[in-house]
Amino acid sequence: MRLRKVLRISRWEVSRTAGGLDRRTLGFAILVFVLVAAVAPFAFDGGLYDELYVVGVEDDDGYHEAVERADTLRAVEPSWSAFSSGDIDVLVRDDIHVADDQKGEAAVAELRDAARRYNAGELAEKDPDAAFPVSVEINYVDRDAEPAEPGDTFEPVAEEEDSEDEDADDDDDGVDAPDAEEDVDDGFSLPSGGLGGIIGQGGRSGTPDDIAPPFPFESLILAFAFLVPLNFVVQAYSTSVMNERIGRRGVLMLASPVSRQEIIAGKTVPYFAAALALVAAVAAVVGGGWRSVVAMVPVLLIFLSLTFVGAMFARSYKELTFVTVFVSVVVTSYVFIPAIFTDIDPVAAISPLSIVVRDLQQAASAAPASWYVFSGAPLVFSSAVLFSLGSGVYREEEMFNQRRVPHKAVAAVASWLRRRASVAKVSVFLVPFVFAIQLLVVATLFALPVEVSLPLFFVAAAVVEEVAKSVSVYAGFAHSVFERNDRNAVVLGAISGAGFFVGEKFAHLAQLVGLDTLEIGRAALGVGFDVSPLVLVALFFAPLVLHAVAASLAALGACRGKRGYLVGLVAAVVVHVAYNLTVVGLVA
Amino acid sequence: MIEVRDLRKEYAGHVAVEGSTFEVDSGEVFGVVGPNGAGKTTTLKTVAGLVEPTSGEVRVAGDDPADADTRRSLGYLPEESPLYEDMTATSYLRFFADLYDVPREVADERIGKTLDRLELDRRETRTGDMSKGMKRKVAVARSLVNDPEILVYDEPASGLDPLTTNYVVEFVRDLADEGKTVVFSAHNLYHVERVCDRLIIMNEGEVVARGTLDEIRDEHGGVEYHVETTVPVERSEPHDGNHRVVVENMDEVESVREQTHDEGGEVLDIRTREPSLEDIFLDVAEGT
Repeated sequence: MRLRKVLRISRWEVSRTAGGLDRRTLGFAILVFVLVAAVAPFAFDGGLYDELYVVGVEDDDGYHEAVERADTLRAVEPSWSAFSSGDIDVLVRDDIHVADDQKGEAAVAELRDAARRYNAGELAEKDPDAAFPVSVEINYVDRDAEPAEPGDTFEPVAEEEDSEDEDADDDDDGVDAPDAEEDVDDGFSLPSGGLGGIIGQGGRSGTPDDIAPPFPFESLILAFAFLVPLNFVVQAYSTSVMNERIGRRGVLMLASPVSRQEIIAGKTVPYFAAALALVAAVAAVVGGGWRSVVAMVPVLLIFLSLTFVGAMFARSYKELTFVTVFVSVVVTSYVFIPAIFTDIDPVAAISPLSIVVRDLQQAASAAPASWYVFSGAPLVFSSAVLFSLGSGVYREEEMFNQRRVPHKAVAAVASWLRRRASVAKVSVFLVPFVFAIQLLVVATLFALPVEVSLPLFFVAAAVVEEVAKSVSVYAGFAHSVFERNDRNAVVLGAISGAGFFVGEKFAHLAQLVGLDTLEIGRAALGVGFDVSPLVLVALFFAPLVLHAVAASLAALGACRGKRGYLVGLVAAVVVHVAYNLTVVGLVA
Repeated sequence: MIEVRDLRKEYAGHVAVEGSTFEVDSGEVFGVVGPNGAGKTTTLKTVAGLVEPTSGEVRVAGDDPADADTRRSLGYLPEESPLYEDMTATSYLRFFADLYDVPREVADERIGKTLDRLELDRRETRTGDMSKGMKRKVAVARSLVNDPEILVYDEPASGLDPLTTNYVVEFVRDLADEGKTVVFSAHNLYHVERVCDRLIIMNEGEVVARGTLDEIRDEHGGVEYHVETTVPVERSEPHDGNHRVVVENMDEVESVREQTHDEGGEVLDIRTREPSLEDIFLDVAEGT
């Protein structure tokens, strides 16, 4: 690929896109963006709830100081007319009057909390020990972490400490606080530290009343702001790709002295740059740093690559709209749902957005490099697979026809095939993609009870893996790359299965991050079983036999056409699920 | 300049071109003729490097046109005029000049001259706002922006009014006179007869006739003799109050003359007529 050509196409893509907008629209869009960028820092400064509720209270009233100290409340001159018109949520005059709506109820709850905090604060200033006879310090540790000392238990993860008695630690039966900190300070120490190590580093302390689960609500909302502008970018990108296909416009670039990879890269670079600029702008506005921007790069790539494939497969703008909405929903779910559990559950490590959330929380310790790799690598590799898949149909023969999506997908895979060995390459190539889909399934199912989630996962994983192994064989037969006969089918299935086995082993590196602390995570990664070395060796190579046999079954069907392929695929999935259940039964 | 050997192209089980072989010499205008679905467009696309042959070989100046650099010496004009309609004619042509690594100054000069020759004035108008004829002229100009040695034109006059069609056909002839090698397909056989040095006739994916027009005439239909008589003879038909019979050689002409004499009539006129390409084409297509 020649960078000079790529940049040249990119420059013209920018020029064309800008030329497609009239100057007024462009000016208006820039103005809106500048205004939002200028206003947003003030809007987000100090939190989303600052002065959310309005309280009408006299300066000399006892509540006034409490309201002034509360971030969420704003004190104004009490006025019946303002209260009646809805400008005041709570009016303090003789009695407390509350607006008859949900906001009024929330405001009075906040006022009560503010008053309680004010009273407690006042009391603490005069006599702290009397005000807070009990203080709590919390340190989070791994669920399966060993107790610090023999005989210790994990029950009291919170350490009670009598502020008057400095020797209280020695008498305490709970986890010794300094030891616990030593454990978690290992951070990403492998293999036992894992994500628990990361999330365990933060400590919270205060009165028992201050204890709250570490739910990163505010940071999550701000992290979501990173995803919103990407939808505009993918809309523009998908339209640009689709425009090449409508009316066969793209044929002339294909006839010019540039390769299709250069065309695709040239068309994609401006949108990637625009998305990156937007992410950087959002980071600057909401208080994120370079870590947020770096963490978002794989998300940008998966957004763009899925959009590219969708735009290459869609037959009309109507289908394209469906595709872009689908891409937006899938990618947003994939990165957002696990990020909800940042600091709570290891499943958060799946999503790069969790790194953004931590960055926005200004966490004491940044996410280590391995977390970027674990969350980002599957997306980056999947993006490479998707761009390559789309590139397979970025040809005159496939680009402009109106064939259905499955046909185009198969044609794209067929474009990767040359000789028999190429089916193994395709299988290896698809492993990161399979891994990403399995992580998506983990993210979807992990909240369910294990009795439900495990069987569902086994079936889903078997379907995804068997399709990944057999689709290249089916494409090879469908596009006459391979001669249809049973011997060929068995050989191709075995080669594809072996290739998948090799690729799959690389995915096991994932256990280093700590997703294996989840039951379903172990199922996804196939690690964490406590068995003898001999059984481990057998377990290591058993998947090779499974993949080869199951892929051969699907291949035998594939050489008999579409219906035969479906039958063969079902048989392969059944064998795969049976294997999974048997292995789990043996080692459980 | 162009070599096509045993070309076979299959689309999802359908054979579009089967065993096509021909060569195009430098500086000649080479026609590809045939009915719809004959494989003309597929053949031209393989020459332009857009379609990969299922089997066989295509060479352009000795190289594979699938290689991007080989396409530098080609100018391809598809049957439609697929322009980027949000660009002006000038910016559109500059874009393609850029893709072909033509320096900006050279490109601007070349674009100006080509558009002058094509008599296209509205150069800063977006191509989406142009008439079909104007779009075609922009498309033709685009095929020349890299000053290619070889032009591959698929139905260059497709869908144009007679005046513009004539203009484009003349333009193709002029390009050939300047030394360009032109391969083009056409439905209108009259155009092929006007500008082509050699041609192939394709039907159902196969080349069924090849050579110069005269060679094809000799092979697929010679001169006809139209003999007009005052009395009916064998195989004659009424014609303008007299009778006419069409025969294929001088022996048959002599036979008609003898019959006429025997019937007491006389031969009024004997004319020779060469078959048109259309006659040959229909004859070949029906005979396949």
